[in-house]
Amino acid sequence: MITQRDAFWDEIYELARVDRDIIVISADMGSPSLDKFRRDLPQQFINTGIAEQNSILIASGLAKEGKKVFVYAIASFLTLNCIEKIRVQNGMMNIPINIVGVGSGFSYPDSGPTHHLCEDIAIMRAIPNITTLSISDKHMAIKAARDYKTYKNTQYIRLERQPSGEIFNSHEDVSLTHGVKEVISGKGTLVISNGNLLFKSKEIIEEQSLDFGLCDLYRFPINESALKEIVSKYDKIISLEETFLPAGQGSAILEALNNLGLKIKVKRLGIDPAKGYCYEYGGREAIHEYYGIGKDNLISEFKNSF
Amino acid sequence: MDIKSLEEKSYFLRQKTLETCLKAKTGHVTSSLSCVEILVSLYYGGFLEINPKDLEDDDRDRFILSKAQASPLLYTILADLGLYDLKELDKFAQKDGIFGVHLQHSVPGVESTAGALGHGLGLAAGIALRAKMDRKLFLTYTLLGDGELYEGSIWESLKFASHNNLNNLVGIIDRNYLCTTDFTENLVELEPLTDKIKAFGWNVIRVNGHCFKSLFEAFDNLRSRPSRKPTMIICDTVKGKGLKVMSYKPLCHGVPPKGEDIEIAKKELNI
Repeated sequence: MITQRDAFWDEIYELARVDRDIIVISADMGSPSLDKFRRDLPQQFINTGIAEQNSILIASGLAKEGKKVFVYAIASFLTLNCIEKIRVQNGMMNIPINIVGVGSGFSYPDSGPTHHLCEDIAIMRAIPNITTLSISDKHMAIKAARDYKTYKNTQYIRLERQPSGEIFNSHEDVSLTHGVKEVISGKGTLVISNGNLLFKSKEIIEEQSLDFGLCDLYRFPINESALKEIVSKYDKIISLEETFLPAGQGSAILEALNNLGLKIKVKRLGIDPAKGYCYEYGGREAIHEYYGIGKDNLISEFKNSF
Repeated sequence: MDIKSLEEKSYFLRQKTLETCLKAKTGHVTSSLSCVEILVSLYYGGFLEINPKDLEDDDRDRFILSKAQASPLLYTILADLGLYDLKELDKFAQKDGIFGVHLQHSVPGVESTAGALGHGLGLAAGIALRAKMDRKLFLTYTLLGDGELYEGSIWESLKFASHNNLNNLVGIIDRNYLCTTDFTENLVELEPLTDKIKAFGWNVIRVNGHCFKSLFEAFDNLRSRPSRKPTMIICDTVKGKGLKVMSYKPLCHGVPPKGEDIEIAKKELNI
């Protein structure tokens, strides 16, 4: 099964062969699909070494001059280590670059909390002129690459490291401006999630034959009118996120519902900051169990939240 | 311009910068005064090639003011070049003004918003890299403060620029030896700065940053790419140059003269 990362870079490779203004900057981060990019398009590939802050600055300088730049590194370093550079260059000056980070949530489960990333949605959505795309599957990854000419501001393309299932049938089904998709139509309760936990939610709903709806919320800031179309059909929402609860997906949903004047009960599930950082090993599910969002816990939460 | 005219221009800019900051009761006077001759060399000495009537000309030289606290000086120069009315300086950091204490890219002639340090060199390196990619002949200059050199990103960018042979990039360090609270060599030693930057692969020139003859020799002929490597011009300067009342003293950063120093400063610059 192809990873989101390889689907994304394969697409960028094809686009870059035609558009010589596409530049890829890697902070010493590779992938099988980037190897051919480096081999065939060396003039469009820059390796900054493990210097993420500089990679954002170089990208911004190039983009200020009209280049279409994709900066690539492990997501936790590319966001949190560079946040003030991103804030000034891409937030304040609105220089549009594409920040491609691999490793959302617990994508690197055995690497420990330095490589876990549970703060990025909250932090990136606090900065004006940054759009976060929490990529669900390879089709969305391809779409995020294909749409590069349409971006007017900086995109934070948040990729899952491990191969994932599929939500969309084709990249043509993905609307990045819409930013939400009703994956399962149900009644009563709607589960909203993104990334890895979207698939876990789908599995639980299907295995337990729950009459729930399921929504992929993959764009921040939220497209509120698009969200309204879906949530209006439900009277309860369970928000599930692989990020810390403060200011994350659940908070963004509450803000949107408040702005929309919709009175829908919301249960927020995710990473409780009171549990701190996680040094548990043995795979992603073990970490989820540590934080109380293991599969058994979620089944119980889904059935008993309301 | 001959050297006498450049000196007269420098004197005028010092006066105007002090006036602007006194009126606003804010602004980085000393940080501006230390780099007057550097910016005069660029903007009036012919080394920075821009067309005030076509600020978007893709062939213009780029100037990234990384030590953005010198904005009162740059704003004065840009007004003097006719990019906006000199009267705008009277509204410096005021409610109906077009600029504040640090630098913003919305002002005509300003390439980048800045104020957070450690950004300008990397941004300038990206611009210079684009020029290489597209075979553009313009130069990219960036002025750094020496206090800015404590930022780690500067050293990331130094390595990058030399590795990529960005000989169309000219870094300038305003080496005034003072941060906010203390002299640099008391804080965390920066010297031997020339050796350090040479060790990072740059062509380094060190000059008296208040001497036009020395500055012109340093800037002269960089357009011929005399080295494969980027060039760093370290300019030894005095923070607050021209105002003895604010020179050689820590804690004179980011503020205009106060109290009885106001009249002393005005007298020193004949305003």
